[in-house]
Amino acid sequence: MKTLIFSDDGEIAAQISSYLKEGFENTIVTLKGEEGKCRRSGARSMFIFTGQPTASGLSLALKKLKDQNSADLVFIGSTAIGRDTAGLLAGSGGFKPLSEVTSVQFSNGKATTTRYLYGGKSVLTEESDSNLFVVAPGISEASLTENETEITEISLDQSPVTVEGEDQKSTGGADIEKAKVIVSIGRGLGKPDGLKLVEQLASAVKGEIAGSRPVCLDYHWLSEDRQVGLSGKKVRPRLYIALGISGQIQHIAGMRGSRTVVAINKDKSAPIFEECDYGLIGDLYTIVPKLVTALTS
Amino acid sequence: MPYNIIVLIKVIPDLEQIKPNPTTGEIVTDRTPLRLETLSENAIEAAVQLKEKYGGKVFGLIFGKPESAPMLKKAFAMGVDDGIVITGYKGNNPVYTAEVLCGKIKGMQYDLIIAGNQSADTYTGLLPGIISGKLGINLLGNALTIALEERKIRVKSTLEKKIQNLNATLPAVVSVTQETNQPRLPPVMQIMAAGRKQIVTEAAQPQTMTGTLQISNKAPRSERKRQLYEKPEEGIAAVVRAIKEEIR
Ligand SMILES: Cc1cc2nc3c(=O)[nH]c(=O)nc-3n(C[C@H](O)[C@H](O)[C@H](O)COP(=O)(O)OP(=O)(O)OC[C@H]3O[C@@H](n4cnc5c(N)ncnc54)[C@H](O)[C@@H]3O)c2cc1C
Ligand SMILES: Nc1ncnc2c1ncn2[C@@H]1O[C@H](COP(=O)(O)O)[C@@H](O)[C@H]1O
Repeated sequence: MKTLIFSDDGEIAAQISSYLKEGFENTIVTLKGEEGKCRRSGARSMFIFTGQPTASGLSLALKKLKDQNSADLVFIGSTAIGRDTAGLLAGSGGFKPLSEVTSVQFSNGKATTTRYLYGGKSVLTEESDSNLFVVAPGISEASLTENETEITEISLDQSPVTVEGEDQKSTGGADIEKAKVIVSIGRGLGKPDGLKLVEQLASAVKGEIAGSRPVCLDYHWLSEDRQVGLSGKKVRPRLYIALGISGQIQHIAGMRGSRTVVAINKDKSAPIFEECDYGLIGDLYTIVPKLVTALTS
Repeated sequence: MPYNIIVLIKVIPDLEQIKPNPTTGEIVTDRTPLRLETLSENAIEAAVQLKEKYGGKVFGLIFGKPESAPMLKKAFAMGVDDGIVITGYKGNNPVYTAEVLCGKIKGMQYDLIIAGNQSADTYTGLLPGIISGKLGINLLGNALTIALEERKIRVKSTLEKKIQNLNATLPAVVSVTQETNQPRLPPVMQIMAAGRKQIVTEAAQPQTMTGTLQISNKAPRSERKRQLYEKPEEGIAAVVRAIKEEIR
């Protein structure tokens, strides 16, 4: 089957292309500057869009590419602009979308897919004749080939929505998706000053620091690229230490793949204790120093 | 100048109260209490703030069930002027939901449609785009701020790595994020006033929904050890051992 794969995040596009290795003829598309991994993800052909991306501009350009390449199936990485682009394609006709898929298999012209539902409380398995899949980040590891795919540049079509400038978001430069050990903090940290203690633990276990949504988005104690969860990063470390995180389903959905989970929380009934291997009930400010001492002695 | 704003409001089962069937693991939500979907509350707040700033009217549109009606009252209490509950919601199917909502919207006067960017229960994030595509009007997604001037709209759109300043002309669909605002808690007087308002319902058109076949909907299995220590000092040794094992 011929596919058209797009993400404004080159890593996600490469993940999808790697996932669809067997039995697919992939055309991969990303934005200029994001092409690195995509070039070596085993796709037959590759395009990069130049110019300011908007969902409307992208949906027009992708529709054209789909027709030119007579692609049967379209895969779009689930990012803010990716979901909008997919929505526009589905709304303007000809596409049957499925959102947030975490796996997909094709047989007898049907797709069997899985996705999380209810904020991560359940896994939904569905069968459909969908032809547009919005794919959750992390569907596979981007496996890279020796050969580089030839790139053709396409300038994005005029869009009725225009971009008048942009601001880069500050990033912490961390790649928590690859981290083997993560020390993750929640609102229970109470104050940004508490980070000093967290850093001691992180250095004792050689881990990256990550956090829940409020810590990254509302309080900015950490940069946004360190957010774990349904709307953040999906991480799968060997060790995940959750400090002062209640363990709401949307958070769990991002760290469920961890091998060993340690939780510290002063509330005995916090849901994180349902999702941990070891749980210490108490104040993190008294427990963490003891852990650090025990680990470093 | 005043604007006519339609806000799309989803009513969802209270996620905290969803419990899987202990033997089969299947998730059934028929009896779970309902609440306003998180992002829909942000959408309501954004719409009401625009009304307060520029004047105009906010109309709330729920595609739900008869039981969703009290939630429209909550929206009224937050400042929504008028609204309707379309009944016949059968479950997650964004294309069908958009078809039903657009059927209603097409007969209305509006400048702006506001929705959440990704709903808290099904999380498709597709509805704003599908609605915009179906109506053939501009989409400005993931808005942190919204400013209107005559027939022009400007939005700061938050993406993963950057914030774009988007410009377009009305009418338009705008989606908002959880960071866009802090939804208000309406004062008691407004809650009481809203409680007395009549709720209009009407049946969904079209009534047939095509789409996917659900094979199963189960809680993911957790095989965690769940060794809990109420006296944390007693657990430190075990935790340190486990940590050392993993970071070797
Ligand atoms: C659409 C949607 C998407 C979302 N996506 C995400 C996401 O990607 N990631 C995410 O994390 N959340 C997400 N959320 C938010 C999620 O629902 C929760 O609100 C959030 O995870 C709570 O963060 P928290 O655990 O840090 O804070 P809280 O829930 O406030 O928990 C704080 C915890 O700290 C404990 N505590 C307090 N003081 C101490 C102390 N001194 N020592 C030890 N423990 C202490 C408390 O007992 C409490 O359990 C999303 C929500 C929605 C609606
Ligand atoms: N059944 C519905 N009725 C009214 N509005 C809805 C409905 N479903 C979704 N929405 C709106 O669309 C937004 C995004 O939903 P979704 O695309 O399902 O993630 C929500 O935050 C609501 O504003």
